[in-house]
Amino acid sequence: MAEIATVCPYCGCGCGLYLHVRDGVVVGASPSRSHPVAEGRLCLKGWHAHEVVDNPGRLTRPLVRRGAELVEATWEEARSAVVAGLGKTLETDGPQAIGVLGSARCTNEDNYALVRFARGTLQTPNIDCSLRIQCVPDAPQPGEAWRAGVSTGQIAELDDADLVLLVGSDPTEEHPAVGARIYQGRQRGLRVVALSTRKHPLARLADLHLPVRPGGELRLIASLLHVVLAEQGMAGEGRPGAEDLRASVADMSPEVTAADTGVSADLVRQAAGLYLSSERAVIVYSAGLALSPQSGAAVQALHSLAVLGSGGSRRQVPVLSLLCRNNLQGCRDMGVAPDVLPGYASLGDDAAVQRFEQAWQCELARGVGLSAWEMPGQVRAMYVMGDDITRSIPDPEATLSALEALDFLVVQDIFMSPAASVAHVVLPAASFAEQDGTWTNLERRVQRTRRAVSPPGEAREDWRIIADVSRAMGKPFPYEGPQQIFEEISDLLPIYAGVFYPPLAVNGGIRWATPEARDAGGQAEVMPVPPPAEALEAAASGLRASDQYPLLLAADPTLRPWDGEVMVSQTLTVAGEFTVLTKDYPDGMLCLNPEDAKRFQVRGGRPVRVVSPKGECQMQVRVTDEAPPGVALVPHHQATRLGIMEISTDQAGGRPVLAPTPISVGPAE
Amino acid sequence: MTARMLPHERIDEFVARLMQSAEVVAPRRVEVADVFYGPVSSPGEVAWDYGTAIEPLKRFLLPQRETMLRFSTDGGLKVEAECDERERVFLGVRCCDVTGLGVMDAMYGGDIPDPYYMSRRERSTVIALTCLEAPEETCFCVCCDAGPFLTEGYDQQWTSLPEGMLVEIGSERGEALARANEDLLAPAELDQIAARYRLAREAEKTFGDFKSYIAGAMAKLSMNEVDPEVWEQAAMRCTECGGCTYLCPTCSCFTVTDRMNGSEGVRERHWDACLNNCYAREASGHNPRPERSDRLRARFFHKISHQWAERNGRQACVGCGRCVVGCMAWAHMPAVTEGIRRGVMT
Ligand code: SF4
Repeated sequence: MAEIATVCPYCGCGCGLYLHVRDGVVVGASPSRSHPVAEGRLCLKGWHAHEVVDNPGRLTRPLVRRGAELVEATWEEARSAVVAGLGKTLETDGPQAIGVLGSARCTNEDNYALVRFARGTLQTPNIDCSLRIQCVPDAPQPGEAWRAGVSTGQIAELDDADLVLLVGSDPTEEHPAVGARIYQGRQRGLRVVALSTRKHPLARLADLHLPVRPGGELRLIASLLHVVLAEQGMAGEGRPGAEDLRASVADMSPEVTAADTGVSADLVRQAAGLYLSSERAVIVYSAGLALSPQSGAAVQALHSLAVLGSGGSRRQVPVLSLLCRNNLQGCRDMGVAPDVLPGYASLGDDAAVQRFEQAWQCELARGVGLSAWEMPGQVRAMYVMGDDITRSIPDPEATLSALEALDFLVVQDIFMSPAASVAHVVLPAASFAEQDGTWTNLERRVQRTRRAVSPPGEAREDWRIIADVSRAMGKPFPYEGPQQIFEEISDLLPIYAGVFYPPLAVNGGIRWATPEARDAGGQAEVMPVPPPAEALEAAASGLRASDQYPLLLAADPTLRPWDGEVMVSQTLTVAGEFTVLTKDYPDGMLCLNPEDAKRFQVRGGRPVRVVSPKGECQMQVRVTDEAPPGVALVPHHQATRLGIMEISTDQAGGRPVLAPTPISVGPAE
Repeated sequence: MTARMLPHERIDEFVARLMQSAEVVAPRRVEVADVFYGPVSSPGEVAWDYGTAIEPLKRFLLPQRETMLRFSTDGGLKVEAECDERERVFLGVRCCDVTGLGVMDAMYGGDIPDPYYMSRRERSTVIALTCLEAPEETCFCVCCDAGPFLTEGYDQQWTSLPEGMLVEIGSERGEALARANEDLLAPAELDQIAARYRLAREAEKTFGDFKSYIAGAMAKLSMNEVDPEVWEQAAMRCTECGGCTYLCPTCSCFTVTDRMNGSEGVRERHWDACLNNCYAREASGHNPRPERSDRLRARFFHKISHQWAERNGRQACVGCGRCVVGCMAWAHMPAVTEGIRRGVMT
């Protein structure tokens, strides 16, 4: 029996775990005590991580479409099919007609190789990851050194915090390793202030819960800023940008915003008071903040609140941006986005572009490309690496039809995803346990994942598959292994400069920093960003309940976020835990407050008819006081396929958002 | 008490001899600073100065994933059982973990013996290593009558004295092992045996604040006098990670699943947890323990009620402290027994 130290492949916490290997088979998983995030703990997913490895559902041979069927093929055949398919689109429609999706389930090296493949080999700027639709937006900050949506702090800072401001996040469900520190912190007096629509367990145990109306998050944060800046006169410390910030929230007194946020002025003042007096506060937010079209602005506003500081010393408050997937941070860092280059280098930065062109020995596609949600309808061919596009994009059926209608679709993955089932070529990839490489967790911690066993059948590492295709297209990559790719990453990406290929996973790797922060010996100086007036206004004019549609329905990304996810639903023993929704609430779990259930005479577990201005559907009811009166909640990944929610656009970043939508509820036919 | 002395300089030779005829499973450092019980490839690998291992011995007797049988449906059903018949010596095992084995034996060796577990168990020799001081802050074996020294349950129990290991014999198997290596051992002197008792008393005093009020909780649980509100509160804190059960030396839940590949199949047994929502869920969707509070109550009843203690020969918590380390929230044994005692969870 050997224990191989690696990193959990699920959420953004990146807990260190050991895979137990006996006779070449992974037979178990357990936590690392010395790992700085895990500290001896794992959540249910981590404890069962080994079960996805040696799993009967794994893809083990390349598949090529022959008519209606996908049939097994050799790597050579599959690669020729890929080269021919992509080549044809390049010839007839040009590189702009190809879209490429990277993945937060894959390593930094896989994603970096994919970006090189897209912008270099294929010459297409259309590269993205669909996961950012349902996760916290990352928004550029002035000065470009930093982006809102990236954690400024680290998880361990919760250990000696005296206050945590938990915004839209239910870490118990989403980020258990963060939740664990909060539960434990409470034992030594850590105060919890929760701002969230849903009264999740930590909101229930919180010292203060601000039950914000869905869509009211930005104005609630603005009112906190108002109290801090306007009433407590905190801006006089010469912080750059603070005056603009003060002006922008001058009209956002909690009395004014109460009507839109549903949170009383008194509660806001109490929360601001706790925040201001706290010496060691930490701000934590997650995808729960991504509920409204103003969430980009809300994220920036939270970072601004952090910059103003708290406590007597007005120390800058560390922020944890809880990213939903283990390597979403790394996926972004590697430039899997249509509007930046690896390391967040600007497409307009000639020097940066030249750096990459020199290293990759080809010209780069410099344009701003299509985003993940724009691709399916606008390109003719797609290359999808481990991206769960049909789960992220609103209206999965339309997405799947659009994928089906493509001239050519390649999917490389570890399981047969919905997208793979309609692909022309399916390429079997190695799982986290079968390859070396690095992952970057939500604290920017670059960690090693390690090969514990060989991939099943003919499956291969993602970067190797891409490199092989690129070579077949006449553009060979010089990489022999992940270490070499990583060395190039740390040479070319200033934020990864000084991060060497970490030798082990147990030691928790190394956290990257911007050059400015490194020079400053620690934390980056982040400029506060005043919330745009239009966003503040738009947040007040969001859709409301009415007589005809008396409830407001919100798609909650923090509600059972892992249910039905491709990897956990393939764990052999606990798949049941992660498919409860599918079994008990197949059409959608509509969470209603007991008051509302009584008012509309519906019972738990029963199907109901739900009508919105956009359409109607059937769902099953769960009666729970987690939903506040007047608000109905449904898990985000189920909401995408209901077809009754308003789809609007996030003002920062343009991602489609399932906006809170008024509904009525009645008996099912 | 029969006891011998194993001089320090002969320990490696003793271990080397053990390795000739068995897989020696001992505490060993993995990567940088973590300790697991695992097969050692040389005597020098044994980490004699460790705190506690991340996991108990469970993985070696009840693997997290094990093949029970292989079958094929080609030309009639053919079934072939798999059985692990390796001889093992568990060496340097903490007393709490040794005590835990006794509870597992009651479960898997009771009225319907489990051949998989028993085949391994019957081929194991257990050498306990006493704790001269509390190895970790989270240890509370003193509240559970499971350490830091044992009076039974081991084949041999070793205590590190200045002149060598005092080897106490606890079973015929332990005695036979000593006899076979008599050339390395010397008879123990009376003052060496006296030192062992003095050290045991001193060790007990080093256990810190981490107490678990097992006896009080046991009385209330067994009499059904726990305020239902306590389970509600515990349920609000528990995140259902399963960690406490997977790490527990005496938790024994499993599930069985068949994996087919064409006409060939494997029947596997995997660790499961009674705390998991779907553990007791029936195919119809009915769940006899639908709420987390129901499941928590059932688990703690199983662990520390008189009713179960009678069946197992002792209550099932051995105070190893692993649930404290592994809990994703605040619903581990000491937190819950304290909650039961005070009628409210903190
Ligand atoms: S908290 Fe996240 S990283 Fe840690 S074990 Fe759970 S899913 Fe894995």
